[in-house]
Amino acid sequence: MHLFVQAVIVGILFGGVYALIASGQAMIFGVTRTINFAQAILAILCSFLSFTLFTDFGIDPFLSILILIPAMFALGYAIYVLLLRQLSRWSAELGLLVLYGLGIGIQGVLDFVYGTSTRLITPSYANNSWTVAGFQIPEVRFFAFVLAVAVLAALQVIRQRTRLGRALRATTQNPVAARLLGVDVEQVSAIGMGLGVAAAGAAGPLFGMILSFNGNTQYDLLSKLLSIAVLGGMLSMPGTIVAAVILGVVESVVAAMISPDWSSFSFLVVLFAVLIVRPQGLFGRQLRGAL
Amino acid sequence: MSLSGDFADMAKPALQGYQLWADTVNAHGGLLGRKVDLKVVDDASNPTQAVTNYENLISADKVNLVFGPFSSLLTIPTVTVAHRFGYAFIEPSGAAPQVFSLHLNDVFLAQPAPIISAGDAFANYILSLPKALQPKTAAYPSADDPFTQAIVDVIEARLQAAGIKTVYSTVYSTETVDLSPVVTRIVAAKPDLLVSGTGTADSVAEVKGMIQAHFTPKFVFFTNGPNDPTFTGQVGAANANGIFSTGDWFPEAKTAGNAAFEQAYVAKYGGTAADIDPSAAEAYACGQLLQLVAQRFGNVNNATIISALHHGSWPTVEGNLSWDKDGSPLGSDLVVQWVGGKLLPVYPSADALATPIAKPAWTG
Repeated sequence: MHLFVQAVIVGILFGGVYALIASGQAMIFGVTRTINFAQAILAILCSFLSFTLFTDFGIDPFLSILILIPAMFALGYAIYVLLLRQLSRWSAELGLLVLYGLGIGIQGVLDFVYGTSTRLITPSYANNSWTVAGFQIPEVRFFAFVLAVAVLAALQVIRQRTRLGRALRATTQNPVAARLLGVDVEQVSAIGMGLGVAAAGAAGPLFGMILSFNGNTQYDLLSKLLSIAVLGGMLSMPGTIVAAVILGVVESVVAAMISPDWSSFSFLVVLFAVLIVRPQGLFGRQLRGAL
Repeated sequence: MSLSGDFADMAKPALQGYQLWADTVNAHGGLLGRKVDLKVVDDASNPTQAVTNYENLISADKVNLVFGPFSSLLTIPTVTVAHRFGYAFIEPSGAAPQVFSLHLNDVFLAQPAPIISAGDAFANYILSLPKALQPKTAAYPSADDPFTQAIVDVIEARLQAAGIKTVYSTVYSTETVDLSPVVTRIVAAKPDLLVSGTGTADSVAEVKGMIQAHFTPKFVFFTNGPNDPTFTGQVGAANANGIFSTGDWFPEAKTAGNAAFEQAYVAKYGGTAADIDPSAAEAYACGQLLQLVAQRFGNVNNATIISALHHGSWPTVEGNLSWDKDGSPLGSDLVVQWVGGKLLPVYPSADALATPIAKPAWTG
């Protein structure tokens, strides 16, 4: 039982980081109707950038998020304006291919600049942990979870309480109707893309403090993001967050109780099960109602 | 060689070793008066590409000789290509049992011993301890890799037979990124001895996980990782102290040409002797073997190399090498341990440069 609870704790804490990256992907899908196949490598890019900021400039990985969020917002905005906006006039599939190619391109650059050895961001507190009722709570994972929740909450406030948020939701629900109501859909989509990529930017340093990474890590992460997106419902932010935590826990428990080999497969089992039983995802219907 | 892909960084020291040997021999007039020209092609860390490369090098480029690639994974398929064409295959790092189970007489691993020997060496060390000091329980996680798993399997089999209880054993995919569940199981099992089949990233993750869980086994052995020059930087020198691993080359080694090798390496690539990755010495030793055949026999055609290396002992930076009919080295490996900030051979005592120390608690 102790082992199970410890695995659940670890899974919940890292599920927060998954949720942050995946919620960005959901936001991008909402405004562009394109699955961002580059979302994983953009998070890894930020892991590398945070690594450099820490090792070469002594900037704490948590503080580096303050630099990376605006930088990645600008990058996401530029990706939309320069690539997706043009291509979306032709077909959404082209946008998907471009983002997939962008992911491969960024990995190539990272491999060239940083090499293929794995890296890990190791601030002085990286090995600290608390013992609570006999269970270990690694400090980095805990603060990563807290920060992920804070960023997700900020994104939710933007979506629910601001004019921009209403425009984002309107664009997500029906871009044609939103345009007729005076929403600058192109501008809102670019901002949505920027926010989605910024979420990856916030998650990258957290990911890089917890797990070793190299450019190749994107594929494992991407497969998990896609599973989370399907489980949560492609357009549902709350669904994405719940799905990320569920899958984080499933992965951790399966790895600890059965075998690490089965943990990644557990993501795919959940994916298949959801596609068969509830293809719209956990929160898919509720989102449509809410909007 | 793997100039790109997963092995690119790990293969770099081996490539440096090859190039250093070529530069050195050319600076002294070449091999039998002929300049050594290395043709390096990228296998992208992909076995299929590696096979294609060797076929092209031999049949299209008609190179005189070939050296092995980096890693057992790439050596296993490529050694058969060389065999098909009758080429000698002196190789630096294909040390897994699968290389030698092919029963090819033209493969020669330029290391003192096959990797199974590394497992035997550590098992011998543990079983040489007085019964009261021996671990009672052991955990054996390993990545699914022909190199690491072979070592772990040997140790587990021998220690289990000796009555040391296995409390956790698992094999996980090399693609596994998050090792925290494995560490959770290790900590829950509370083994006296941890024998872990790891690369550098896995060993670092396990050390960090155990530090966070405030759990220090009495003995910690990683197949790989502690011998990576970046290891202490990642886990901290104090935490590295007392960790065991395997080793075939050390800066302090008194082997043939080692002082000259270290001097030339530092002059060409910078740093200090302590920064030299053993893979560089292994590749350099491949070249030394070729040079020795040339000196003793006056030619370096493939038939001569194959025949020559099957007889006698050959002094290199990796020690005095000899092989069985399948190319498996006949020497034995050493147990190494981080002691006072240095990775030193500690067992067998005849070859030791330090006395093994007890694993101190992690310092956080």
